[in-house]
Amino acid sequence: MKGFSRLVYPYVVWMVIMIVIPMLMIVLYAFTTKGNDVLTFQFTLNNFIRFFKDSIFPNVLYRSLVLAIITTVICIMFGYPAAYFISKLNINKQNMIILLITLPMWINMLVRTYAWRGILNGLPLSGEVKVYIGMVYNFLPFMILQIYTSLSKMDQSLITAASDLGANKWQTFYKVVLPLSLPGVISGITLVFLPAVSSFFIPKLLGGGDYVLIGNLIENYFVSTGDWNFGSAISLIMAIIILISMYITKKLDRDNREVTVK
Amino acid sequence: MKKLIQFKNIVKAFDNQIVLKGINLDIYENEFVTLLGPSGCGKTTLLRILGGFLEADEGTVIIDGKDISNIPAYKRDINTVFQKYALFPHLNVYDNIAFGLKIKKQSNDIIEQKVNRMLSLVGLEGFGKRDVTLLSGGQQQRVAIARALVNEPNVLLLDEPLGALDLKLRKEMQIELKRIQQEVGITFIFVTHDQEEALTMSDKIVVMKDGEIQQIGTPTEIYNEPINEYVAKFIGESNIIDAIMKEDYLVNFDDHDYKCVDFGFKKNELVDVVIRPEDIDIVPRNKGIINGEVKSVLFKGVHYEIVVETASGTSKTVTMHVLGNKDVVNENAKEKISASNFYMDLEDVKTLSDSEVIARANAQAWTFDDEDVSLTNVEYDVLEKTGVYPCTFKTSKGTQITVNITVVEPIYTEDKINEEAVQAFDFYKTVDEIKESIALDTDLKRWANATAWSLEDESPVEIWDVKYDFDDEDIKEGDYKITFSTMGRELKIHTTEYKEEGQKVGLSFSPEDIHVMSKLGSY
Repeated sequence: MKGFSRLVYPYVVWMVIMIVIPMLMIVLYAFTTKGNDVLTFQFTLNNFIRFFKDSIFPNVLYRSLVLAIITTVICIMFGYPAAYFISKLNINKQNMIILLITLPMWINMLVRTYAWRGILNGLPLSGEVKVYIGMVYNFLPFMILQIYTSLSKMDQSLITAASDLGANKWQTFYKVVLPLSLPGVISGITLVFLPAVSSFFIPKLLGGGDYVLIGNLIENYFVSTGDWNFGSAISLIMAIIILISMYITKKLDRDNREVTVK
Repeated sequence: MKKLIQFKNIVKAFDNQIVLKGINLDIYENEFVTLLGPSGCGKTTLLRILGGFLEADEGTVIIDGKDISNIPAYKRDINTVFQKYALFPHLNVYDNIAFGLKIKKQSNDIIEQKVNRMLSLVGLEGFGKRDVTLLSGGQQQRVAIARALVNEPNVLLLDEPLGALDLKLRKEMQIELKRIQQEVGITFIFVTHDQEEALTMSDKIVVMKDGEIQQIGTPTEIYNEPINEYVAKFIGESNIIDAIMKEDYLVNFDDHDYKCVDFGFKKNELVDVVIRPEDIDIVPRNKGIINGEVKSVLFKGVHYEIVVETASGTSKTVTMHVLGNKDVVNENAKEKISASNFYMDLEDVKTLSDSEVIARANAQAWTFDDEDVSLTNVEYDVLEKTGVYPCTFKTSKGTQITVNITVVEPIYTEDKINEEAVQAFDFYKTVDEIKESIALDTDLKRWANATAWSLEDESPVEIWDVKYDFDDEDIKEGDYKITFSTMGRELKIHTTEYKEEGQKVGLSFSPEDIHVMSKLGSY
């Protein structure tokens, strides 16, 4: 076993090069003044002050969070019933439908979003609605798969037992099935909310440019303006928000489980 | 007592396979009823139909005079303890038990009262706040019982609930379940394949086989008066003997007439007789009603299980020709070779191969340094008729030996009473081969190619006994008789007195100990 544990080294190296160092770079840039020359940097908090002073930036952040939350809620609303009915089918049909759901994911997300731009272009919809369509389309499979997994793993004898104890179908659902599938819903939320809050190309492609989100902002400061310091500051604020929301989701999940032990 | 549940001609099939073949069964109030049978006999299916989880294809289920066939499970006044408990993992012990009451929207203080009463009934006071997934198997079992009983059902169904527990816990729960049933005073329907469980707990046992009820009765009735061989074998240990009912109160088996207390059979009807092992007493030889020899003794804790042979089996005697060692020595090649004559069955000639000839003749060659040399050439010309044929084995260096293959007609002894046949052949062996054998009985069986089979259906019968009168440590050249025999009538006896294997004893049992049953399927 000791020999096998060495297999983790390439991953550790990869993590350090691709995640830890870039993260440190972002922190460094966020707290320094203009200039890409690392040797002449000067510490400052100006980037953050600039972000919160100007009402535009917090607004964009707020709008991004709202978009992500609404996208997640829509995904749960469509995803839960879909997963529930799939889990009721016979096993062959289940596999078939799961395959159909995952099939579009074999194609690059960007390509699919371009396709949606083509479809939605001529339609009289606001940019916001188009963005929602694109977001839900892209993230719904993650939600369905997570909920489906927790539903299909559920012990069928629990449902029989509930009905034995006098629960009708609806009571069985909200007293047994729903609480037991919550871990699936929560991992679905994680998988949808986090990418949704930072997504930039879906709003850019489908929102028609006037729909600016935090992801677009970051992209702009890095690519167009070349202001890496401010871009890093926004990224850092974003990362902190994601950390907080992950913490809340985890806590929700744990509280849900603690109900049993209380 | 009042009839509580009536099954009327219940038929159920899954994928064209009939699982229940028209079950008729009445269950009374406050009874502990056990549905007993091996897996696949339909007992669980019947329980699930009663619980409302399956629909019968035909027939009706009546509870309290009402046909409940169309009432869904959740509206039935029946609760179930499931095989793997099916406790809700997201609820604690208290909430699991309160589940049914909360569904019925009872007030919180009543729920609390009832749940606490149940917790003390099953001996889990103070466990209310525990996580059910962290309980032991026995505790989960108790929660499952409490969760079902708290709803005050008319009937409690238990689907092999003790199957997952270890032996000690299972015994405890058997007593516990019986106590709970007597305390709450409702009907328990218990499904199991464990006959001991059924005997311990039930007021009434329903023995099932292949979707049919074999016998319904109290544990004592089922044990003492099984209706047929199947029930007798399923419940407890038994000696089951093919017999002929000569007339009322007189049964004949193994060529002896025995008095019995059974009557009402046809004259000379073929029947099965069951004698329970604990009903037979071992007495001195000639003091009982039958004599025998102790064949095996097993210690079972409380008693010994002794097998006594009362009638000899079928036997066949063959001659073993023991020869001196006649290795052929080839000084030039520095090799030795040996092989022995052998007898073979005419029927085997067709399929004879080189490797088989080498094996049967036990032909081998080796160098002076004791290294094996392969036999490159085997020459024989055996015809498909009886006779003696020479056979020569050679190595590549020309060392050779010739032996005789004697082809004989298969000869076997048939025993019409035992309905068995035994076959064996004469054979040749060298003194060394016999001395080197580490499992002589097995080797003798193999060398003589001894087999036995049933004349009824040609199924193989074990050769139980190998008898010979030589000392294998000190055997000389010559001819020896070896007798192979099958087990004759063997009677299993449970007794607390130890007997030696091989001891000659008498057996005694009284007419009441003989229970005569109709042959299976003939009623």
